[in-house]
Amino acid sequence: MKTVHPDGWKAFVDRLIAEPGLDVIGVKEKGSRFVFAPLESANELRLDYDVTVLPPKKELLPPNEDLLLFDISKPFDVLAAHDEQKKVLIGVHPYDLIAINMMDEIYLGAHVDDHYEVRRRNTIIIASDIINIPQKAFCGSLGTHVVEKGYDLLVTQLDDRYVVEEGTPAGAELLAKFADAKESSRYDIERVRKLREDLPSRYQRQLHVDKYKWSEILEENYAHPIWDENARKCLTCGTCTLVCPTCVCYDVHDEVELDLERGKRTRTWDGCLLKEFTLVGSGEIFRETPTNRYRHRYYRKGMYLPMRYGFVACVGCGRCATQCLADIADPLEVMNVLASSSMEDKKKLPIPEVKVHGVKQELLVPKAANILYKEPMSDIDTLYRIALDSGEALGHRPGQFIELSIFGIGEAPISISSSPGSGPEFELLVRKIGDVTSKLDTLAIGDKVGIRGPFGNGFNVEALKGRNLLYIGGGCGLAPLRSLINYTLENRSEYKDITILYGCKDPTALLFKNDLESWGRMDGVDYKVTVDGCKSGDCWQGNVGVITTLIPGVDIDPETTMAIVVGPPVMYKYVIRELKQKGLPDENIIVSLERRMKCGVGKCGHCQINGVYVCLEGPVFNYADIKELPEAF
Amino acid sequence: MKPKVAFFDFASCEGCQLQVVNLEEKILDLVDIVEVVSFREAMKEHSDGYDIAFIEGSIMRPMDEERLKKIRSHAKLLVALGACACIGGVNKLRNKWPVADVKAEVYGTAALDGNPYFDVLPTRAVDEVVAVDAHVPGCPINRNEFAKTVTSLAFGRKPRLPNYPVCVECKKNENVCLFERGQFCLGPITRAGCNSICPTNGEGCDGCRGFLEDLRVNAMKDVLRRHNVSMDQMLKRFNLYNYRREGY
Repeated sequence: MKTVHPDGWKAFVDRLIAEPGLDVIGVKEKGSRFVFAPLESANELRLDYDVTVLPPKKELLPPNEDLLLFDISKPFDVLAAHDEQKKVLIGVHPYDLIAINMMDEIYLGAHVDDHYEVRRRNTIIIASDIINIPQKAFCGSLGTHVVEKGYDLLVTQLDDRYVVEEGTPAGAELLAKFADAKESSRYDIERVRKLREDLPSRYQRQLHVDKYKWSEILEENYAHPIWDENARKCLTCGTCTLVCPTCVCYDVHDEVELDLERGKRTRTWDGCLLKEFTLVGSGEIFRETPTNRYRHRYYRKGMYLPMRYGFVACVGCGRCATQCLADIADPLEVMNVLASSSMEDKKKLPIPEVKVHGVKQELLVPKAANILYKEPMSDIDTLYRIALDSGEALGHRPGQFIELSIFGIGEAPISISSSPGSGPEFELLVRKIGDVTSKLDTLAIGDKVGIRGPFGNGFNVEALKGRNLLYIGGGCGLAPLRSLINYTLENRSEYKDITILYGCKDPTALLFKNDLESWGRMDGVDYKVTVDGCKSGDCWQGNVGVITTLIPGVDIDPETTMAIVVGPPVMYKYVIRELKQKGLPDENIIVSLERRMKCGVGKCGHCQINGVYVCLEGPVFNYADIKELPEAF
Repeated sequence: MKPKVAFFDFASCEGCQLQVVNLEEKILDLVDIVEVVSFREAMKEHSDGYDIAFIEGSIMRPMDEERLKKIRSHAKLLVALGACACIGGVNKLRNKWPVADVKAEVYGTAALDGNPYFDVLPTRAVDEVVAVDAHVPGCPINRNEFAKTVTSLAFGRKPRLPNYPVCVECKKNENVCLFERGQFCLGPITRAGCNSICPTNGEGCDGCRGFLEDLRVNAMKDVLRRHNVSMDQMLKRFNLYNYRREGY
C-alpha cells in the first residue's frame, strides 16, 4: 500500500487530466446527486459520494453504442466501429466494481464481445472505498462493501491522507508515473482496515437471508402472492433495469442517414420489464403479463445468473429501490418477505447442461453472402439458396440458425433448412412477416446479405442413431426440421423406421413440395400430410384436420422411437399430449423453440425461457429437460 | 423514381411543419430522396400528384373531413404529423363543452349559422377519420424522428414508434427523476421518442406524444397520489394532450 498526501492526490488527478490522449472520468456532483462524468479538474472529484445515478457500467457498456458502420449504396460495405479511447475511471465503489467483474464474465466469457473487450482493455479502473452510505443500500449484508480484484488501483480517502492499494502492474505504473507516493505506515494500513471493518454495521438495512440461499428461496416461491401484488403497482417503466449495475441486456437497431447511403447498427440498453422485450416478428410476446416480467428480474438475479455463473447478481447498491416510483423494486424487501413467509412449494427451474458451441468469427460483424437462387413456396414463404462470398462452407449442424442482416433494416434469426451436405451453399426458408423478411422478399438473385453464425446447439444426431424417428412438422416448422430429415435420409442406414407427419393451414401453404413428394415415394419412409382446412375448389384429396389428428393412427414402439417436433408455439402442448398418450417417455421427445434473438450467443438477453438461453442451450431441447419451465410452452 | 411528397394543414399552429423547415441543411438531403410538390408554409407551387401526404392538424368541420378524404384518395401513404393530427392534442380540450357553448364563448352573438367555416364538430384526430399509415407524434414533432420516418418510407419499411415510456430515455440520459425534485411528470405513461427533452430540461412531461397503448394508469395514479398530486392537478395534466383518453 502507498500513502499520498491530499495535495499529492490532487496533483495526481490533475496530471492524469492533463495527460493527452487520456479521458479522465470521475465522480462529480450533479445537482443534489452524483454522476460519473469527465473531470476538468481534481477539485471536482468527490470520493465521499454515496451512490451515482447511473452505475459506471455506462462507461464500459454505453446506453447507446455504434456497432457497425455501413454504406448501403455499395453491394456490401461494413466495418466494426470500435472505441479505442483510453480512459481512467476514478471512484468506482466496491459494489459497482463487483458488478463490472460480473459483466466481464458475461461479455468476455465463452464468446468474446469484441466491442466490450476493446473498451474494457482501454479502461483503467481506480476504485475507491465507501465513505458515505445511501439510505437504501445493503452492501453490508451481501459482502459487496469491499472488493478484492478488478481494480488497477484502490484508493481510500482518509481524513488527512489517501491510501492507495496497487491492484495490477498497470495501476502501479500509473501511480509511479503520476504520483508522489510513499510506502504506507502500519498505522495507515490499520486505519483502512478499520474503515472497511466498520462498514457493515453502518448500513441502515439488513438482509434477513444469506444471499447464497436466495436460489433456494426463489425455488420455493414461484407462486408467492408478492409477485402479483407488486406487479399490480408496476409501471413496467424499465427504471430498475436501467439503473442496475448488473443488468446488461441490449437491443440492436439499424439506422440510415437521410442520404440513404451511410448508416449504422447501434446497440442500446434494453430491459426485461419492458413489454416488447420478448416481441417477435409474428407479434407474439412471450412474457406478456407484468407479473411475469416483474418476477423474472428477481429470478434472473437471484437464481438464473447464480446457476449459470456462480454469482448472485445483486450488489445491494440500492439504486433500483431508490429510483422506482412505485416503490416495489427493492430486492432487500422482496427477499426478506419471501424468507419470512415462504410457500415452500419447490419448483425446479433447471438449465440443461450443454456444451458451449464456439463461434469462430468476430461476433457482431456479418459476413458477405450472395443470393444464388430464390423460389416462392407459398404466398408468404420463399426459399433462398445462399453462399458466403468467401466460398467457405457454413459448417452448420441440422437445427442451427443464422442471423441474416440487411443493412439499414436490421437482422433476423432464420433456421437453416438444408442438411450440412457438402459445399458452401445452404438454404433458408423465409416467411415474410417483419421488417427484415419483408425487405428480403424484394431482393433478387445476385443481391448480397450479411450472415452471422451458425448459432444454437442443433439436433443431437448421435442420440438418434439406431432409433425409430417420428418427425412432426407444423407449418413453417418444417424449415428447420427438413435439415434433419434430409440429413438422416442421407445417412439412412444409421436410423431405423422413419415416419414424417406434416400439417399446415391449407393446401396453398404446403412447403418444400418436391421434398414432400419424394418422401412420399421413398421406401422405408412413412409420410403423412394434413391441412387444417381446405377451401372448396382447392383440389385437395388428402386428410383434413389439425396435425394432432395424424398421431393416433401412427404405429410406433414408444421405447425405441424418438419424436422430433417443430412448429408454431401453440402446437407443442397438443402434440406432446398426443405423444404422451402413445406412451412416449419425456426424454424421447425433441422440440425446437424460438424466441426473439439479437446476438445469438447469450448476451442480449431476449431469448430467455426462465434461465435458459434459447440461443445457447437450444433452440433444440429435450422435452424432459424443459417441461418444468413455466415459460417454455 | 423519387416519391412525391405533399404537406397539408388542418387545425394547427403549423409548428410541426416549421420543424421540418428547421431541418436546415438536412433539407438538402431530404429533397434528394423525395420531391416536395406541395408545402404551403415553405413554397408557392402546388400539385395534386403526390405519393406521400403529411397531415398536420386536427379535423374540426365537415369541410375538413371532405378535404382529408380527398387527400387520402390521392395519396399512397398518409402520415399524421404532430400531436394535433396524431391524437387530437390540445384541440380536443374543447370537446368538454357543447359546440354551441364554445361558439358563444368565442364569437359572442355573431350570426354564424349556416356558415360552413364555423360548422364545427367535436375535434377528431386524423386516424379517427381516415386510415393513417404512419404517425410522427409530439408537440412539436422531433426533427430526427421525422427524418427517420421519411427515410423508412423511402426505404419501403413501415416506421416503428417506441412502445416504451419516456422514463427509459430519461434514465439513459442520467436525469434525476423529477418526482425526486417535487415535480410531477407523465413520463411513465407517455410514449418515448423525444429523448426525454422536457424532463432533461427540468419540466415534467405533459404527454404530448400520447399515452402508451398499454398504459398502467392505475399504477400511475398510485404514484401520483403518493407524491401528493391532487386529483385536480392530475386531471388537468392528463387531459391537456390526452383528453378523456382513459375516460376520466
